[in-house]
Amino acid sequence: MKRSRGMGLYCAGLYAFLYLPLGVMTAFSFNDAHRNVVWRGFTFKWYRVLFADAELMRSMLTSLELAAAAAAIAAVLGLLASYALTRHKAFAGRRAYSALLDAPLMMPEVALGVGLLSFLVRAGYELDFGALACAHALICLPYTVGSVRARLKSMGEEHLEEAAMDLGATEWTAFVKVTLPLAMPAVVSGCLLAFTVSFEDFVTSFFLAGIGIVTMPIKVYSMMKFGVTPEINALSVLLLAATALLLALNAVFASGPDEASRA
Amino acid sequence: MGKALSWLLGGRRPLASHLLLAPAAGWLIVFLLVPAAGLALLSLAKNGAYGQVIWTFGLHNYRRAFDAKYLPVLLRTFAFAGGTTALCLLLGYPLAYYLSFRAGRWRNALLIGLMVPFWTSALVAFYSWMIILGKEGLLNAALLRFGFISAPIGILYTPFSVLLGLVYFYLPFTVLPLYASLEKVPRSVVEAAYDLGAGRWTAFLKVTLPLSLPGVMAGGLLTFVPCLGDFLTAELLGGPRFYLLGNLISNQFLMAQDWPFGAALTCLLLIGLIGGLWVYRRWEAEDA
Amino acid sequence: MPEVSRRDFLKAAFLLPAMPSLLGACRRSDSRRVVNFYNWSNYIGKDTLPDFTKRTGVEVRYDLFADEDEMFAKIRAGARGYDLIVIGDFLIPRFKALNLIDPVPADTLKNQGNLAPRFRRAAYDPDETAVPYLWGTTGIAYNKKRLTKPPTSWWDLWDPRYKDRISMLDNVRDCVGVALQLLDIPQTTRDPEDFRKARELLIKQKPLVKQYSSSSYLNSLVAGEIDLAMTWSGDLFQAARDNPDLDYCLPREGTYMWVDCLALMRGSRHREDALRLIDYLLEPEVAANIANAVRYATPNEKATPLVDKALRKDPRVYPTPQVLSKLKLHDVLDPEQSELWNQTWADVKVA
Repeated sequence: MKRSRGMGLYCAGLYAFLYLPLGVMTAFSFNDAHRNVVWRGFTFKWYRVLFADAELMRSMLTSLELAAAAAAIAAVLGLLASYALTRHKAFAGRRAYSALLDAPLMMPEVALGVGLLSFLVRAGYELDFGALACAHALICLPYTVGSVRARLKSMGEEHLEEAAMDLGATEWTAFVKVTLPLAMPAVVSGCLLAFTVSFEDFVTSFFLAGIGIVTMPIKVYSMMKFGVTPEINALSVLLLAATALLLALNAVFASGPDEASRA
Repeated sequence: MGKALSWLLGGRRPLASHLLLAPAAGWLIVFLLVPAAGLALLSLAKNGAYGQVIWTFGLHNYRRAFDAKYLPVLLRTFAFAGGTTALCLLLGYPLAYYLSFRAGRWRNALLIGLMVPFWTSALVAFYSWMIILGKEGLLNAALLRFGFISAPIGILYTPFSVLLGLVYFYLPFTVLPLYASLEKVPRSVVEAAYDLGAGRWTAFLKVTLPLSLPGVMAGGLLTFVPCLGDFLTAELLGGPRFYLLGNLISNQFLMAQDWPFGAALTCLLLIGLIGGLWVYRRWEAEDA
Repeated sequence: MPEVSRRDFLKAAFLLPAMPSLLGACRRSDSRRVVNFYNWSNYIGKDTLPDFTKRTGVEVRYDLFADEDEMFAKIRAGARGYDLIVIGDFLIPRFKALNLIDPVPADTLKNQGNLAPRFRRAAYDPDETAVPYLWGTTGIAYNKKRLTKPPTSWWDLWDPRYKDRISMLDNVRDCVGVALQLLDIPQTTRDPEDFRKARELLIKQKPLVKQYSSSSYLNSLVAGEIDLAMTWSGDLFQAARDNPDLDYCLPREGTYMWVDCLALMRGSRHREDALRLIDYLLEPEVAANIANAVRYATPNEKATPLVDKALRKDPRVYPTPQVLSKLKLHDVLDPEQSELWNQTWADVKVA
């Protein structure tokens, strides 16, 4: 274990790299200047400005709703698909399915945006929140599938469901009582990934956002002409804090069963 | 009801499998394949007055794509995507190893910590990097302060800043699959190697590393593939000299208003990727 | 069992394409009177729209774009539902050719007469399909403190001394336009040789250029990352609020002016209210407030005297008659010409 100290330091360094921009962002959210260039002194004013900015708050809500909807759809679709791919005996077309599930990763975003928009318009569909949520679910799907499938596959090697069924459980009971609880951490982490992907997405959102639907990235991008204001930094800091809190709570409550499942 | 569901889950008939996959596949067909087919059709069309699409079919857009002037863009893209993938793997492997073998009770917290930075909008992160890397930025200020340089140096809009941006954004996508595959390395086998007198390095090189290769491939792919289409990083952190394939494609749609050509480039990229993946899957299947 | 599931499967298959509307239905808002307005970011006064709503009860749903090309791509791909949109003079012939906008009916706007004659029936829009909103010039932004002498000519953007301190607008019209201007080639040319020369001129400049950008370069200017930039007038004046060292020059070769116009989208479902909004934006006080906020010049003759004096007297915003006479509008290009322009610019970007 002693040897791991060097490695620990190295990892701390990598985390520092990942968190450096966040630190700067946090610091500059307290910067008493209009623009994120030089430090002019400490202030809370951007947080006040932020709470007074109804448009920005609304765009944050839109993004949260959107990411939640997309992650939920992607999780359900991903779970069903992963189950069939890992639990069912070989069937024709399995490879094709799994290739298809990775496909959204390959599509350049602008091409996807233009292609989807043209398609929806041609189909006579008027752009709204639903269209955007569907598109986001699409780009999220590979992430939930990736996470859940890996978990189901490694669980499969333990033959737990089979054990349950040997004890008389039906497939359905085994799924509800064994598979689902054990796969839950992976479903949650897949959802988190999906949520992140959706929450961040600008290009697809730009093309598919109907009237009055302004997500955070769209809003931020439109403000970009004059740089990201400290107000946006303040919002990002609050989001980050909320996330960290949520994850911490989750970790506290979920650590028990998760540890048990590993043993 | 329960019986129907059990039938579905049991998957003794291919139909059950297809049904379970149907929602996801349907989703992909409606929202990805159909639009992609539209793009494929578009790639055969011609660009008309003011970017109107003329539906006469031919391969002219594909012929244009093989013009020598696009070769440097392609090579540059591969260099950046390859460089990013290599860097992410090199930097990320020790981290994934640490998470899997050494982190102990901190593992979950650290794993989550890996994702947290991505809960900020990429644009906000980009701007923070600009504050750090700019001529009057923090890094230059620090270097000046400690006397490493005598005048601010341009760090932004260089290959370095592009690479840094790409590594920053794709590192977690490399680390997570690496971690997942390291988790699967049976600890007993590693122990056995030690028992047989293998040193740390030998055990790692002969046992752990080979067993984690699928994760290396998966992580590499998850980094390399999106890198090939990335355009925001080069646009925001790169300069005019770092024009990548993603920029070329998006510019056809956005600036040049030449959608058929953009569609053709997209199709070529997709064909390349699908071909690459197919070869990889074959290799993987043979290996397994 | 399989039969039931098969039917379920079919049901699901039918439901899938309807997913977007099902999801959308959950969030659909009520139908009050609204106008859907699509405009550049930072391109309106703070109270302009709230005041309109207060006065008329018509809500304005205001969406923003930061890049004209992106906006055009989105509209071309079929995004509909906007009633009112702001587009540059350069885009008007395209929007017309692609049937994207409807003409503003003659004599429906009681304030149209407020516009200066110069901005009525201009070459880009002889039938007054659209209504001029703001205008500005393309010029050179620079950092007074960092340059030993202020730029005077477009050629300064080609000066190797400024290597890596220059940014150019990422825009066909401005870059190819300036290249042709410097080569003394008329904009209406269709000689490939001319475009080859323009391309070479721009490629020659490329090693000096740090950024091609139409938006984030402003941040770089303020941050001191670059010291010299091709810019749109008002954007620079807005940026100069954050860095007083920034100044603007109209190159001595003369330059181009452009006019951003309000246009009615075809198929607008709120035409009456959209027209009412246009008319409101043409009111002298309203137009003057917008001009004060965004620091572009208003084409509204009646509004000009109401603009802040400092701004009104600033020759960089409202050029002197002598300079004004040297300002030209971009020529209207036919499809073949604009294809040549686009190709030239695309080749510069790839090179």
